[in-house]
Amino acid sequence: MFQVRKRVQADACQCDSFRELRWRLTLIFLMFSRFFHRVGILVLPFLGLLMTACSRADLEVRQSTLDPKGPVAQVQYDVFMDTVYLVIVLFVLVGGLLVYAVARFRSRAGEVVKPKLEEGHGNPLVEIGLITASIGALVFIAIPTLSAIWYTDDVPKEAVATSKLSAWYPRVDANGKENYAKEVEDQVLEIDVIGKQWWFRFEYPQLGLTSDAKRTVPNEFYIPRGKAVRINLRSEDVIHSFWVPKIAGKVDLIPGRKNYMWIQADELGHYYGQCAEFCGDSHAYMLFRCEVVEPEVFAQWVKSQKTDAAPVVAGSKAEKGKALFAAKTCAMCHNISGHFGAGNFGPDLTHLASRKSLAGAWLDNRDPKAQLALELKEKNTEASMPVDPAQLKANLIKWIGSSGVAHGADGKPTPDVKPGNRMHYYKMFNVVGLRESHQKFTDEELDALAEYLLTLK
Amino acid sequence: MSHDTHHAPVASKLDLAPERSDLGLLRPDRSTGLMDWLTTVDHKKIGILYGAFAMFFFLLGGVEALAIRTQLARPDNDFVTARMYNQLFTMHGTTMIFLGVMPLSAAFFNFLIPLQIGARDVAFPRLNAFSLWTFVAGSFVLNASWLFEFGHLAGWFKDFAWYKSLVYTDFAPANGWFSYAPLSGTFGQADAALHAPRFTGVGTDFWIIGLQILGVASLAASFNFICTIVNMRAKGMTMMRLPVFTWMTLITAILIILAFPAITVALIQLMFDRQFGANFFNPSAGGQPILWQHLFWIFGHPEVYILVLPAMGIVSEILPTFSGKSLFGYPIIVFSGAVIGFLGFAVWSHHMFTTGLGAVPTAAFALLTMAIAVPTGVKIFNWLGTIWGGRIRFTPPMVLALGFIWMFMCGGFSGVMHSSAPADSQQQDSYFVIAHFHYVLLGGVLLGLMAGLYFWFPKIFGRMPKASVAYVASGMVILGFNLAFGPMHYLGLAGMPRRTHTYHAGMGWDTWNFVATIGAFILGIGVFLAFANLVWTAFKGEKCSSDPWDGRTLEWSLPSPVPEYNFARSPIISARDAYIEHKHGGHKIGYESDGGEAGVHMPSQSWMPMLASFGFLLIGMGMPMLAMMIPHAGWIVIAGIGILFLGIWLWALEGPGGYMLKTPSGSTSPSPVSATSSTH
Amino acid sequence: MSQVAESSHAPTSTGIDHKKLIMWLFLASDCMFFGTLISTHLIYRKLYPTGFTDAEGHQHFVQRLFDIELTSFSTFILLMSSFLMALAVSAMHKGQIKSFRRNVLGVIIFGLIFLGCQVYEFTHFYHMGLTIQNSVFGSTFYVLTGTHGTHVAIGVLWLILLYFYSFTGKLGGHVGALDVEVAGLYWHFVDIVWIIIFTVVYLIEYLGPNGFWGTGLPIAK
Repeated sequence: MFQVRKRVQADACQCDSFRELRWRLTLIFLMFSRFFHRVGILVLPFLGLLMTACSRADLEVRQSTLDPKGPVAQVQYDVFMDTVYLVIVLFVLVGGLLVYAVARFRSRAGEVVKPKLEEGHGNPLVEIGLITASIGALVFIAIPTLSAIWYTDDVPKEAVATSKLSAWYPRVDANGKENYAKEVEDQVLEIDVIGKQWWFRFEYPQLGLTSDAKRTVPNEFYIPRGKAVRINLRSEDVIHSFWVPKIAGKVDLIPGRKNYMWIQADELGHYYGQCAEFCGDSHAYMLFRCEVVEPEVFAQWVKSQKTDAAPVVAGSKAEKGKALFAAKTCAMCHNISGHFGAGNFGPDLTHLASRKSLAGAWLDNRDPKAQLALELKEKNTEASMPVDPAQLKANLIKWIGSSGVAHGADGKPTPDVKPGNRMHYYKMFNVVGLRESHQKFTDEELDALAEYLLTLK
Repeated sequence: MSHDTHHAPVASKLDLAPERSDLGLLRPDRSTGLMDWLTTVDHKKIGILYGAFAMFFFLLGGVEALAIRTQLARPDNDFVTARMYNQLFTMHGTTMIFLGVMPLSAAFFNFLIPLQIGARDVAFPRLNAFSLWTFVAGSFVLNASWLFEFGHLAGWFKDFAWYKSLVYTDFAPANGWFSYAPLSGTFGQADAALHAPRFTGVGTDFWIIGLQILGVASLAASFNFICTIVNMRAKGMTMMRLPVFTWMTLITAILIILAFPAITVALIQLMFDRQFGANFFNPSAGGQPILWQHLFWIFGHPEVYILVLPAMGIVSEILPTFSGKSLFGYPIIVFSGAVIGFLGFAVWSHHMFTTGLGAVPTAAFALLTMAIAVPTGVKIFNWLGTIWGGRIRFTPPMVLALGFIWMFMCGGFSGVMHSSAPADSQQQDSYFVIAHFHYVLLGGVLLGLMAGLYFWFPKIFGRMPKASVAYVASGMVILGFNLAFGPMHYLGLAGMPRRTHTYHAGMGWDTWNFVATIGAFILGIGVFLAFANLVWTAFKGEKCSSDPWDGRTLEWSLPSPVPEYNFARSPIISARDAYIEHKHGGHKIGYESDGGEAGVHMPSQSWMPMLASFGFLLIGMGMPMLAMMIPHAGWIVIAGIGILFLGIWLWALEGPGGYMLKTPSGSTSPSPVSATSSTH
Repeated sequence: MSQVAESSHAPTSTGIDHKKLIMWLFLASDCMFFGTLISTHLIYRKLYPTGFTDAEGHQHFVQRLFDIELTSFSTFILLMSSFLMALAVSAMHKGQIKSFRRNVLGVIIFGLIFLGCQVYEFTHFYHMGLTIQNSVFGSTFYVLTGTHGTHVAIGVLWLILLYFYSFTGKLGGHVGALDVEVAGLYWHFVDIVWIIIFTVVYLIEYLGPNGFWGTGLPIAK
């Protein structure tokens, strides 16, 4: 019954209809300009907003809900536009009537108004007519709403044929190793999203990327292009919300509750997401990223996630950094497969240096100027520069050395990057953060540590 | 043998002999000045006090908002810390709703209802005073959290043992005005001291107890007003002849008494979780955080209709007055108000569309939410019908009322967008929601309340606010407001989540955040100017007649300011819009033969309601202090409970008292010119 | 009139006295209040039908925990107290102050017996391992019944004050009857709420072969 909607090619412009809209509104506005001095203050900013906020770039910013790149977001966008059309019609009719009435029935200067004293019964015919029309107008949006509620609820049956694992992901790789078990080959890809204060942990239970296997994926997760993916939403502490606007509307992660959703991204790229339910001091810093790649690249990525970290070169600064990683108690919370296996509380760092963001995707590891220039040039916010090692190193030093465990260039204790964050501030259940345990870092130590972490590709 | 002792009618209460209550304590009936205001049971004075407090808290909430907007004007800003920002937006919302809009509406209920129904006071004058002082106590408790926060930031407490033992140092509430569990609650097992680990500090405890106390105040006032409206109408004032404002007050009060219990229970459960290790919302023990959301929004959705219905009632009075026509479709407007109130209880989960309710409940609540747009639309159509064919006078109240229709309509449109759950899944928790509710609350409710202030001010104080200043202020408010919140529709659709204290450049949000901040400051100046105009007018404004607008309802038939006894003689009503009918139509207002030399019964003033409220103040301060483990805080709570019970007990035993006040005799029809004396 | 009319004497639009009307309004609100507490309890019963687990990890069935005989007795006592309350109101209407005092004293004593049974029950459950902290059932049960008990206690306090006030000679006439009637309304409400709680919290556990919520103790055994 429901089609998996293909994303219409990017050039078919929603903006064309906006341009037409703009013109129509300008006409209406001009018609009433005689009365502008009375109601202009009321009308102008609203219309002005509509007219100016409509350039293509404004609609396609990184977390825009008006630039859907997958069927779920597309359907939600289409339903939204239905409500927009309805509202515009109502605005013109009712707002227009209001403006007209105010203009036409204003009392003239010097006129003495003798009040009319009708019974105030109104006009039942008008009332019933308007009520019926209102109900009809609402039916106009109710039907697509209901259809969309069911469509977005869970993976549509017709999508399973192309999205099930066996359809695009070889069960056994070239070396004869199993990528996933036979029992799950007819399932679509499932990702467990676990919300914590203030980052997201991603697990792929069918593919062996789990907490038990000590191979989890923090903050930046990968999905194959054009395939439906089921997301299971869990929280380990408070309520969070999973929102990648260009791919789908949000669903909350509620502790004790097994929420789920499905997504599908039809265009390659690096997508931006953010936690959308207030979750404490650093809610604003709880971002995440979604990388959409071709299925073959996805398979490669999964394989790389299952490899251990390479050994450090003897005698290098990185070796010093690795020793510090243990000495400064980092290993208590962070897992680095092949190096440190005791910690599972904080994000897994095994592939830290391949990630484009840090600290809950708040710090970006790409050259900022180059990244912005690329987005402008490609007219595509999902285009991405690769990781810039210099930027990554600077971010690592800034992040680890924040919250007063180090001193800045001015000699003062460093400020917070994420106030209250667990790595620095935690003080509960035998886990003690860096600041709470009075760890201190010198610049050399931070440098060595960063050099070590840079080797974790 | 009767409880009343002032038998002989007096011309002024200052002529009374000193009188003792049944307890043997002096009744404060003869007090003047500050004592008079503190012990008053006069609904008009209580209304003025509510209004004064409300306007103060509006400005305080506005300062909190401007701090928020300053922080957000630029990306990666550090005007305030994350923690301070979270406290600011929480207190902004809580202050505006509970300490701004609700008391300002209460100010109107208090001043106008007895006048509009032809009564001399409310059913329970001392309960009315109790509501006011309990509200003051609650507002103090809530804002005391700020005092603690400033003390913490300034380092006043750093040498105290209790302070050093605190796990969390957030003193002002910082979880948002709806404070979702388990962030506001507990997780894990309770320890031997019955405390389970929490995510937040005492700020949440201030919020819980502050809201409980405010809830008591609202409930008490609502019981009083329902009783008054239903039971104290003048002869001939049938329900269908009531002014629409009175009807909306009645529906609002019914909503309050049926909706507040849900939040009362939710707050009790949260408090038990935090203080006694209960498991209502503790996920580790099987508690369901979503239960908090259900309970809160079962209260929270009717609450927004509690906020808006009085403003709609005000607009329904102003539009006919300044169009020179009666309200179009009075019965339908009343009925649609009742339907909105009723349906308001059926839509609460539209605040929870993203919580994974399941397709069927989501669909049901989406459809019900769309349905509630119908009676709201009906009201707008009827207001249009009212001004259609009339002769519109653009006085300041009328300009504001027309602004209300426009802004509320826009807010209603974004509400219709939210009603579609799939669209809402993108909009929820983003700036789009903030735009929506500010359009209905600020553009709608605040403009409506401001319209009411300018409309009835001449009646309350006998002075006319300066129109030129009013127009400038209104223009600034409307312009600033649209500039601030219009762009937020775009920001939300561009993916900016709410409750985030900062954002990076490069997200595309910079420009419109800056514009919104400019708008917010213009709005703030406009509101301040509008209020300052009123305050100045109260003391130095130009005096005006008792019926400057050619009013339609009973209150305009009285002198300005209104004398203590309201009506010299009780009116006898024979039509809707009784006063305009009296002046220009065939139905004259009749008058009973009460009053005159025999006097009318006036209730005695009393200290007891305030005493009882003081008990609440102590409880409200003591409980968070107990949570902070400040030594001896438990005694403050116990003292508070004791004083509360003592106050109520003395209140019951002192007897209602009362005295007889003479009213002017003479012509039975009201004079349109104000009496120049004021016997307050 | 030589006697000053009090506000509650003045004719009301509905004919119902102010005090009575406001008590009805308060009771409507209190209905929603108890409704919310009861709903919370029922929701969690449905979610966790197997009762509760105590601190040592032992599973307890609610049917074994409850002492339905004792609770039935205290319910009966509360019902009888309502009957005595009705008699007290009637006595006040007829101006029979001594009869009023006897009946009100009866209500107070029965109310105290009810409260005593509640206290005993709570202590008993506590010793059997049910606390507010160790389970959701404990939280919902104690808060619901504790709130009801608080309402009863406030009622008992009110009636005690009325009882002593009746000795001053000031309780009488129309006003006295009204005050007693209003107290009676409150008392009857508290009783009715208890009937509902007794049914949906206690009795319902014994309905059906495995307890109403399922997977409880098999009743047939």
